[in-house]
This record gives sequence, structure tokens and C-alpha cells, in this order.
Amino acid sequence: MRFFLELALSGLAVGAVYGLVAMGFAVIYKATGLVNFAQGELTMIIAYIAWTIQTNLTGNVAVVTVGALGAALLLGLAIERVVMRPMLGEPVFATVMVTIALAVILRSSINFIWDAYPHGLDLGVGRSVVRAGAVGIRTGQIAVVATLLAMLAGFTLFFRYSRFGIAMRAVAADDRTALLMGVSTGRVHAAAWAASAVISGIAGIFFAVSYDLSPTMFQLGLKSFPATILGGLDAVIGSGLGGVIIGVAENLAGGYLGSGTKEVAGFVLIIVILMVRPFGLFGQRDIERV
Amino acid sequence: MRSGTFKETYPELIALTDSRLVWFWGAVLAIALAAAPYLVNAYLLSLLTAILITVTGVLGLNILTGYTGLISLGHVGFLVTGAYGYAVVSGRWGLPPLLGFAASGSVAALLSLVVGAPSLRLRGLYLAITTLAFAFIVSHLIIEAAPLTNGARGITVERPSFGGLSFASDQAFAHLCLAIAILTLFGTLNLRRSRIGRAFVAIRDNDIAARAMGVNLHAYKLLAFTTSAFVTGIAGALYGIYLSYVSVEGFPFLLSIEALAILIVGGLGSPLGAILGTIFVTLLPELTRSALAMFGSEAEALFSTGAQELKSILYGVVIILFLRFEPRGLVGIWHDIRRLWVHWPLRF
Repeated sequence: MRFFLELALSGLAVGAVYGLVAMGFAVIYKATGLVNFAQGELTMIIAYIAWTIQTNLTGNVAVVTVGALGAALLLGLAIERVVMRPMLGEPVFATVMVTIALAVILRSSINFIWDAYPHGLDLGVGRSVVRAGAVGIRTGQIAVVATLLAMLAGFTLFFRYSRFGIAMRAVAADDRTALLMGVSTGRVHAAAWAASAVISGIAGIFFAVSYDLSPTMFQLGLKSFPATILGGLDAVIGSGLGGVIIGVAENLAGGYLGSGTKEVAGFVLIIVILMVRPFGLFGQRDIERV
Repeated sequence: MRSGTFKETYPELIALTDSRLVWFWGAVLAIALAAAPYLVNAYLLSLLTAILITVTGVLGLNILTGYTGLISLGHVGFLVTGAYGYAVVSGRWGLPPLLGFAASGSVAALLSLVVGAPSLRLRGLYLAITTLAFAFIVSHLIIEAAPLTNGARGITVERPSFGGLSFASDQAFAHLCLAIAILTLFGTLNLRRSRIGRAFVAIRDNDIAARAMGVNLHAYKLLAFTTSAFVTGIAGALYGIYLSYVSVEGFPFLLSIEALAILIVGGLGSPLGAILGTIFVTLLPELTRSALAMFGSEAEALFSTGAQELKSILYGVVIILFLRFEPRGLVGIWHDIRRLWVHWPLRF
């Protein structure tokens, strides 16, 4: 029982990170109808920027977080403006290939800008262990779950009540009509990229604090993919919850079926989900009028 | 006086080419390629062999991505199963090499059925996602299935000999690759001309319209995926022989991206584009190295330490630039040059 609880709790924490990255996928998909294959790489770059600030400037948590998330915002806007905006109106194939190309560029630039060795991001917080009954959990892991819950609540309110959130949903539903109704779709796309980069940035910093920073961190994006598929590609909230489910499932599979299974559990799950419910648990069924 | 070239019958329309000159120069090129292994040095020969193997694999992917318009990120998975299919059957079990080649293609094709049957029922990007997952599952399975595949240690592969011919020397192996590449080229060209090929292109251009015209979407998508996997499996077997050692590390995920980059650079859906793209993308790292060498030894050292990363960045940049500025690829540029040549000084 204790083994199970430990696995489930640490799965919950890593699942919350997956959930955040998956929300990043979903925000972009919802606004632009495009799967951003560079999400994991964005996460990694932001974590590296946070590490650079921590080693070169100051280890203050607030400064590092604000600095890294500011960089994330700029990076998201820059990518949208320089790389994605010119591809507007091109076939889906072309835009998706551009994000794949972006992913390999960002992934490889790590070795040129930083180095190939793993680093720890030590912000002086999040590493102490809290004991709850028989099992221990790190404060950083509690914080990431809390952040995920806060983000879920925030996004629910944002999409339901704020003017901009409603505009984003309008663009997602039908960008041409939204344009005719006076919504600036370009601005919505830019905001989606920026928001997505910031969410992934948060995930990246939490991941780096709890675990380690290395050039293979982009695999976080691949691991979060099943979460988005499970929750539904167009369901921001569903993706966040999907992450938690995937994290726990993966950890349990790793604990009971062997560590190799952990690596592929999510991918096996993707194929199963796509067979049973291709639009995800919370996504909308795609119906096309001919 | 004839004012242009007009096609008057259907056979003329779907003929591979209406010009004898094209056949003539094609034959000259084939003879030149057959003679080349004896004329060039070992480095260029190895480059030529790599290009021929890549052409085979990319032509395989072209059936799926170019003709049918489906993205696969998992073709490295078929490449690696092809390589292992050959290595296990002919290397470890000692069966004839031809059986090994048959196994490499069929195992990849069978696996593609397993992946494709559930994921091709869906539209859009889902194939890219499931094949991405597939690429990771396959390398995991290969390492787990150690009794069959030797796990992470890999398998050493010998150059094959069959039909009274030995392909042990570099020259002979290049000839084998050339023969298979030409076979694949004509195979895909002819596939494109058949009912099946037209159905593939119809699915790419508008799947709903294709369905309304009686194309069974699921069956034809699955057929495209399986054919593509079969050809890629054969290319994988050749690549395994070329490396002379098959292991999971020899087939990094980057190969999938490289193949897509080649298709985009060359021009999607065109076998000529696949060939031009392969030559361009294979030579790109070499050219970059020479260019960096001009900036002194320090820049060249950067290349040797981060070769893999630099290659990735180059592929990424090339994909983005071509999609942005010349979506038709090198084939589009070639057509422009040809038109200019015929119509000059007029613009049209």
C-alpha cells in the first residue's frame, strides 16, 4: 500500500508537469488549429534560461521565475511573428512541418548555447521533504500540483468570462467569422503562443527544480503528448487533467511492470485512446460539413 | 504548324515521358552511375552509396507523404525494423540474403498494418502522432527482445551474396544499391500512373471528394502506409548492411526528420524531387563543413564536436526556408528553369 501511495504521489507531481505542458499544446491548438511539435523544446529552453539567470545573476526565486517567464513570453511572441505568421493560410501539412523543424532547431541549439551536461536548478526552495503519514513528498512537487490546479481554475474563468478568452474561443470555432465580427485573429494567435510558452516555461522550471536539467529534457513534450490526446487536443482543461492521469499511470506501470514500461506506457496509451475515443475525454467530436 | 505539345489519348497522358531524349539521357545517367564506383575515390563512393540508399527510403516515404498527403514521423521505426529483419534472418539465423531482404520488407509492412489500422481511421495529424509514438515503442521493443535482437548490443551484418554474385566489395554493394534504387524509382513512378496512385493523390487533394467518387479511404490509406513501410524496410536493410552493424543507436529519430526535409526540399509528391532533395540534403552537411573550414580550423572543430546538432539545425532551417519561400521545392525551381529555357526571352 505504501509503495502504491509513493508511486501515485510522485506520479501526481510529474503528471502535473505533463499537465502544464499539455495545456500549452492545447492553448495553441485551440487558437490556431495547429499541433505545436516544438512544445517540449520550448519548455527546455525556458528551463535553461532560468538556469542561466540562476548561475550568472542571482538565485532569488522571484527574480529567476519572473526573468525566465518574461523570456518565455518574448520567445513565444517572436516565434509566432517570425516563423508562424508568414505560414498563415498555408496547408496544415506545411505549418506542422514548420513546428517540427522549429523543434529540431531549438533542440540542437542547446548544445551550442549551453552544453551537453546535466545541471541542477537550485533555487533554494522545493527540495525539502514533507512527511504525510508514511510517505514523503517534496514541497516543489506540492507546489507544481497547486500551480496546475490554479492554472486550471484560471483558464476556466478566463475562457468563460474574459473578453479576450471569448475572442480566443471564437477564433478556434471559426476564424473567418471571428475576423468578420471584429476579432483580431493575428493578435489572438500571438497571445496563444505567448501564453503557451509561459505555461510550458512554468512546467520547465518546476521540472528542473524537482529533477534535473539536461539536453534530453525536450522529451517532456513527447511525454505530455499522450496527456493532450487523452484530454482532447482542443480541451485546455481536459489536457491538464489528462497530464495527471498519464503521470500516475506511467509511474504505476513503471513500478509494477518494470522501468522500461514506464518510458512507453504513455505512447501505448495514445494508440489505445485514438482507437477508442479519438477526440479525447473532454474534446469535441469533429464533424465536417461537406 | 503545331503550336505546342498536345496529349490526345489517355495512354499518352499517363506515359512516363513522351520524349526519347529523356530516355536517352536517363540511360546515359544510369551508365554513368554504374561506372562511377570504379572511377571515384572511397569517400565519394561511400557518399554515393548513402545517397542511393536514402533515395530508396525517401521514395518509400514519398508514397505516403507525397502522394497520399499523410505525415509519418515514425519511418525511422520501419527503417530500424527493416534493418533488424535482415540482420536477424540472414545474419543470426544464417538464411539466404534474399530471404533477409524479403523479411525486412515484410516485417516493416506487417508492423505498419498494426500501427496503421487503428490510426488511419482518423483524419488529419493523428497519423503523425501515432507514428511518433510508434518510433519510440519500436526501439524500446527491440532492446527488450534481447533473445531475438541481441538487445542493446546490436548485430553485426555481412555484405550479402546471392544469385552467384558477391556484393562484398564497396563497388559491388554500390551497384546493388543502384539497382534497388532504380527498381524503386520505376516502381513508384508506375504506381503513380495506376488507379491506385490516382486514388492516393485524390485522397491527398480532397479526401471527402475522393470518398464521394468511390475511393475506399481507409483501405487506400492503409495500402499507401503499408507500401511505404515495405520500401522503407528494404532501405533499412540496405542501410544496416552499409553500416555493417545494426543497433538502435544507428537509427536516431533525426532520420525521420531528415527524410521529411528531403521531401520538402525536393518537392512533395515528385520522385525527381525525392532524388534532387536527397542529393541536396546529403551534401548539405559536407558543404557546410567545407564552408566552415574556410573560417579556419576553429570553426571546423565546432563542426566535428557538434556534427549531429549542426545537421539537425541545418535540416530545420532548410525545411522552414523551403516551406516559406519555395513550397514546390527544387522540382519547382527546375520547372521554372526549363520554362525559361524554352520561352526566353518571353516570360510565358
